[in-house]
Amino acid sequence: MGASGIFGEAVDRIGGEPIPSRFARKAPLRHLDPALAFITLALAAYGAVMIWSATVHVQTRAGLDPNAYLTKQVIYICLGLAGFLVVSLFDYRYLKSLAPIVYGTTLLPLLVVLSPIGTTVQGAKRWIDLGAFNLQPSEFAKLAVIVTLAAYLAERKGDVRKRDIAVCCGLVALQGALIYKEPDLGTMMVFVALIAALLLVAGTKLRHMLGLVVLGVVAIAIVVQTGILAQYQVDRITAFLDPNPNVQSVGYNLTQSKIAIGSGGVRGKGIEGKNTQTSLDYVPEQHTDFIFTAVGEQLGFVGSAVLLGLFALLIWRALRIASISRDLFGSLIASGVAAFWAFQVFVNVGMTMGIMPIAGIPLPFISFGGSSLLTNFIAVGLLMNVHMRRYV
Amino acid sequence: MTQGSQKRQSSGGFDRTRLRLTVLGMLVVVAFVALYSRLWFLQVLASDQYRSLAKQNSVRLVYSEPVRGRVVDRHGKVLVDNRISLAVTVDRRTILNRHKSKKVFRRLSKLLHVKKKVLEQRANDNAVSPYKPVAVANDVPKKHILYLREHQDLFPGVSIDKLPVRTYPHNDEAAQVLGYTGEISADQLKEPYFKDALLPYQAGDIVGKSGVELQYDHWLRGRPAVQKVIVNSAGDVISSKLKHGGGRGDDLVLGVDHKLQHLTENALRSGLEAARSSYGAPAGAVVVMDPRNGAIRAMASSPTYNPKILADGFSTKEYKALGQGTPNNPDDDALLNRTTQVAFSPGSTYKPVTAGAALWTGLASYSTYLPCPAQFDFRKTIFHNFEPYDSGSMGFPQSLEVSCDTFYYQLGAKLEEAYGPPESAGGNGTEKFQQYARRAGFGHTTGIDLPGEAGGNVPDKQWCLALAKEIPGFCADGWLPGYTVNMAIGQGDLIATPLQLATTYAAIANGGKVMQPHVAERVVKQRPDGTSKVVHVIKPKVVHNLGLDSLELGVIQQGLGQVISGSTGTAHSAFAGFPLNRFPLAGKTGTAEIGNTGKNNAWFVSYGPTTNPKYVIAVLVQQAGFGGESAAPVARQIWEGIAGVDHTTKNIIAGSDTSR
Repeated sequence: MGASGIFGEAVDRIGGEPIPSRFARKAPLRHLDPALAFITLALAAYGAVMIWSATVHVQTRAGLDPNAYLTKQVIYICLGLAGFLVVSLFDYRYLKSLAPIVYGTTLLPLLVVLSPIGTTVQGAKRWIDLGAFNLQPSEFAKLAVIVTLAAYLAERKGDVRKRDIAVCCGLVALQGALIYKEPDLGTMMVFVALIAALLLVAGTKLRHMLGLVVLGVVAIAIVVQTGILAQYQVDRITAFLDPNPNVQSVGYNLTQSKIAIGSGGVRGKGIEGKNTQTSLDYVPEQHTDFIFTAVGEQLGFVGSAVLLGLFALLIWRALRIASISRDLFGSLIASGVAAFWAFQVFVNVGMTMGIMPIAGIPLPFISFGGSSLLTNFIAVGLLMNVHMRRYV
Repeated sequence: MTQGSQKRQSSGGFDRTRLRLTVLGMLVVVAFVALYSRLWFLQVLASDQYRSLAKQNSVRLVYSEPVRGRVVDRHGKVLVDNRISLAVTVDRRTILNRHKSKKVFRRLSKLLHVKKKVLEQRANDNAVSPYKPVAVANDVPKKHILYLREHQDLFPGVSIDKLPVRTYPHNDEAAQVLGYTGEISADQLKEPYFKDALLPYQAGDIVGKSGVELQYDHWLRGRPAVQKVIVNSAGDVISSKLKHGGGRGDDLVLGVDHKLQHLTENALRSGLEAARSSYGAPAGAVVVMDPRNGAIRAMASSPTYNPKILADGFSTKEYKALGQGTPNNPDDDALLNRTTQVAFSPGSTYKPVTAGAALWTGLASYSTYLPCPAQFDFRKTIFHNFEPYDSGSMGFPQSLEVSCDTFYYQLGAKLEEAYGPPESAGGNGTEKFQQYARRAGFGHTTGIDLPGEAGGNVPDKQWCLALAKEIPGFCADGWLPGYTVNMAIGQGDLIATPLQLATTYAAIANGGKVMQPHVAERVVKQRPDGTSKVVHVIKPKVVHNLGLDSLELGVIQQGLGQVISGSTGTAHSAFAGFPLNRFPLAGKTGTAEIGNTGKNNAWFVSYGPTTNPKYVIAVLVQQAGFGGESAAPVARQIWEGIAGVDHTTKNIIAGSDTSR
């Protein structure tokens, strides 16, 4: 009789569902996933070192603090760990009923971003200036989409109808519309990937899935044709198909990015000395979206393969948690997070290597940026939450 | 109830969820396989290519222009030197890729008082490598340089360079021999001389464009210092390392004697001025050669130019003034070296060659006597003598002294009948007259160390037939005997350069050796420690001989002497009062008709002192009447200087004469 909370206190029911007594004694802290924690920390550390190596030369030459970016990233990691703790402390099942509030609270900052308070960087309004920290609400919106859709679809208990698909798309479309105004094409692409992954796992029928794919293709064609996208967005999408090394063109990024990765060779050029693409600032946005080029040039195929391997392990842990979760809500959250990482890694790394379009999607844990890092740590927190409460 | 729902979850719903998760997992696997494959391709298979691209990005080799070697005369007098010009250069990679460039050029234009369009044109010169700063203004005043240095932020990509610039201490003296320099052209880069050079040439290099500057460019150019520069994406120089230091070019020592050159040019100038009182006389040329070794001691060509105006490469207006603007009128082309690059009919100066051919083939002997009638009929054609009366019978010496045309017509007829094409006058077809002409140095280049030499022409049957295909009506009836008869007095299609005549007369003077003429003597490397070393010597070279024995050569030499000393000599009056007893001379006048224009080119070729010939002087004055009238006085003025008759030049040449 009586289940126990995270500190072993008696809990009768959580989220309306009764808790079987034979799991009641199993305190959540006993069921942490150490592999997940280890992989997360390894990735964060890997990222911090890469950010340092990608910025140290340019900062030094400019007479600025060579460790400025490293310091910031370490602070973000600490914030991320705090976020991880907060998110893993309470039972994730509360989120199911809180989902509308989560959804609402991420909608609000997106509105703020578009208001005059929002900060414009390189023509895009994606940030809110919080003094020491530029908040990017669209990063958190990705998690909100996962939680909201998971909560809604978990209620369908595997029976997903057309109406449900429409509701999911509608929920995301509202967020997407605000993000489109920023504009932030990358995040919109992530949203699409998340809807697809969650609908798949939630039990959408095969023919509906195929129908969605067809609809998506038609929608993309219409968007490109009718000029809803700005020319630079179309350019960036199509640049990887026809890279033009002209300095002024979008293709310049891609050309320099490929040169950086390709010239790294098998063993890389090392952090000091011969890493000319990185140290001489040939790759634009290298410490953020193009951080993988720093890995590729300096650590070569070996370092890049290790990094991709860490991501593969991370996503494997997420999918494993999805399959051992005690309920569909947990499964959906975990698979949403897995899809979130898999898509971002694939698009970001693929972009730097010229097999995916250039979209402003950061590489999880590695790219410089507080909002992205905090989002990823919260995602790990959600996974850990689902994992350690699988018997509770 | 509780048990039931749990069961449904684990058996039905969860299994289905696991299946769907497997599908998601498979998609992830596909994505990662794609990433790993691409990574393998970029970093393992295509790595070398990207490695070299990365290097191209950041590593730049910057060549700094070396100081060219000097050109000095045989006594060490500097003819071509260098000075340092402060030039404003523009780095195109920095300036042209930015929209700011317009502003920068506007500011530069204002500062330097050069039109913005002109600056941009210079900056966009495709001939210069894009990685090399291109000079847009030379000899910029110090105050502008200071302004540029102080306001570097207003002029991104603009820098100051110290560029060596050619200087000519004696202005236009020997301009066509020395030549001028300029940036290597795209055409030059394709020429074997530049393409196959040991030290490769590249766009933007300063090279010789003509004269010895071009001929000896490998020696004169020097070696550029190469800096390996590492630049970042903005084009800022991060580090720079000297890859190898440069070196100045080697000095070229000419056989030309500065004082004799000066004297020669003065003589040509005053000769042209004198001739212009009666004739057009637009141009002229003089070559002074040492018959003993073929060394050119002076070479003058008029009109001339000052290579200085071409040295900075920007004076297009002055370049046009050189006569390049009228390509159809070769008479005003100052860049042309008329001693080597222009061939005309030699007229009577060719008669010693005809005499030589007759003696060499055995058709005449040194004691042969022939009549000199007023006209010579040959196969229904009448060839007139210059003098309209019969001068009686004469030998070779007198035939040269009075320049009897009919005497040489007869020799020409004999040569044609014996060796001409069978169908023409029944000869054996060996064309020995033409053979001898080539042996004496005609019809081919002499091999002088100056670029663009003309070979002239010795007409023969093959040439006639070849040209018949190109020009309808020309040589329509095949080779005619009259061609040879005309050639015997240096008319018709026989054309020669003044240098070729000098070479032939040098052979007559030196006992028969046909020398290869040369303007340069040696190349001297100046070491940084002040010592020097001869690294290349241009040795005298005997190309052929006239094939005459001393008696045969003797009658020709005697005749040439009588041209000047004999009372009926065609140059007798021109040398009246010259101390021939102290400084005996020999020579031959020539008056060559220019087509059917009624104008004549005046020739005079001479050598002396006949006792021990040290100089051959060939003079050509274009469109200036008789040789004895317009060309011989030019030669006399030079001979007076050499012999020390003229007070202003006394002792000067005597000194140069004994030094070698």
